[in-house]
Amino acid sequence: MTKNEEMAVKPIDSPPPVDLKALDDFRSAMTNEVIPEIVRVVEKRRLGAAQSRHWQLKC
Amino acid sequence: MYSWIKLNTSADLNQLEKSISVEYSPKLVSQRLVGGISDAVKSVLIEENYVDKDYRSTYYNFYSKKGQKYRADCVRLHFFDQTVSFDEDGLKLSWEGDRLDDHYFGYMVLRPTGIATIGRTILSPDVRSGAKGSIITANHKVHLLGYKLSIQGFPSMDQHIDISVCAHAACWSILRHYSEKFNIYREFHTHDITLMAQQFNPGGLVPSKGLEVSHAERVFLEAGTFPLHVAKNSPNDPSFYRQLNAYVESGFPLFAAMHDRSHAIAVMGNEWRPPVNTGIPGMRYAWDEVTSLVVVDDNDLPYRSIPVKGGASYSAEDIDAFIVPLPEKVYYPADAIDLMVPKLFILHALIELPPQNETIVRYFITTGSGYRNFVRGRESEFDPKLVEEIMQLPLAQFVWIVELATEDQWSKGYIAARAVIDATASLREEMPFWLVHNRKRAVIFKRRVVGDGISDLEVLDLSGMENTALTRMDQNLRPIQVK
Repeated sequence: MTKNEEMAVKPIDSPPPVDLKALDDFRSAMTNEVIPEIVRVVEKRRLGAAQSRHWQLKC
Repeated sequence: MYSWIKLNTSADLNQLEKSISVEYSPKLVSQRLVGGISDAVKSVLIEENYVDKDYRSTYYNFYSKKGQKYRADCVRLHFFDQTVSFDEDGLKLSWEGDRLDDHYFGYMVLRPTGIATIGRTILSPDVRSGAKGSIITANHKVHLLGYKLSIQGFPSMDQHIDISVCAHAACWSILRHYSEKFNIYREFHTHDITLMAQQFNPGGLVPSKGLEVSHAERVFLEAGTFPLHVAKNSPNDPSFYRQLNAYVESGFPLFAAMHDRSHAIAVMGNEWRPPVNTGIPGMRYAWDEVTSLVVVDDNDLPYRSIPVKGGASYSAEDIDAFIVPLPEKVYYPADAIDLMVPKLFILHALIELPPQNETIVRYFITTGSGYRNFVRGRESEFDPKLVEEIMQLPLAQFVWIVELATEDQWSKGYIAARAVIDATASLREEMPFWLVHNRKRAVIFKRRVVGDGISDLEVLDLSGMENTALTRMDQNLRPIQVK
């Protein structure tokens, strides 16, 4: 976390120490694991939807 | 014009055969009703010469062009409880209590088409035999004999067979619900739906040859919604069902396709199993608590309950794809929420969350104003400082809500923590949050500068919430109260 980022966090009503490392860990997990997986799964769904568009419904 | 049938049990609905002309197929209608509605219905008012806008749309464009002479008008059946009586001479209804609405169970239009005669139907789910769980409803206005009535339900009708099929009926049901529930959507009649499905007027019997799923998508697009089409990735795709359930719990009815059956239905409700203490470790989702879906199938009366697995006819397992007609500003897909949720527990060091393997996760969409309304209605559950922050957050029109609960909390309708996520976020956003809070702390993301998600936040330590419970947000579905 940069110094600027630390200063932008505004504690309210004197909260106890806040562990912002968890946010960094979360951001890292999002960047390295979740977002690539989201992009992959959304693309897979798009391809699956393209195939299912031609299904006939008539019953 | 009007006649009244008193019922001791629903089996007495067989009397309809004597009162209604053969082109409305009263025998088949009464058979459907006898097995489908409860004994709480104690009388039926038969309204003849009813002008039904949906039937008329097909009459003007199809039936009136046929050699055989079809009637232009319909019959409408109105269902009442035991407190209502009818004065045939004065054409007046009498009832006990203040509101006739409280004794009214809805109506069913019968078309003079000989086959598949059940037209527009708004039936109270409370008198549908076998209906269970909670469903999406809208308030439908009814004008009868100078009385203004209203009924909460979901529209249904049989397919016409000769000019429309199951997929048209499912599209019609969903769009009629939308036009009644949300004033930004106009009303579409049966014939409109057959035209909207195609690029050109198909004419004649072409619509009866069936629709492709893409045609249904086109109908919803033409109607002004932003349809999202989700297909199952594999036979065992739990994320597909979690998303299906999330959209239903968000109040969006789904157009569901069953490839092997060439059939389409509208999914508009679910039933949770009674709370049980399983003691089985592992994170679960709201879908894992669902035992059945409530659907509108044009081969049956509305509110059919289909099991998650198995069953005599079909089950949720047979659904391969669904279309959810979303409003414009929902960009962040359920897939993204589903994949992100397990990582939320990384935040435990900052904001206490229940152990991941003891948590039940529920996620759904609501509006920013709906969320604020929920908070305002339960102010006593929140630290006033948090209420103030929530009221001032510049929320987008739609938000995803993620609720985390332990098994014990789930059984009581409580939660441990809630995350509010921007439904307009892009797929690649690292911090799509507005807010994450439990009863001790809130992390508020101001989202004022693009790309500055982690620094533009406030941490608020909460007080006064130690002894209050956070209530689960159940706002979109109406529980069925069996009568």
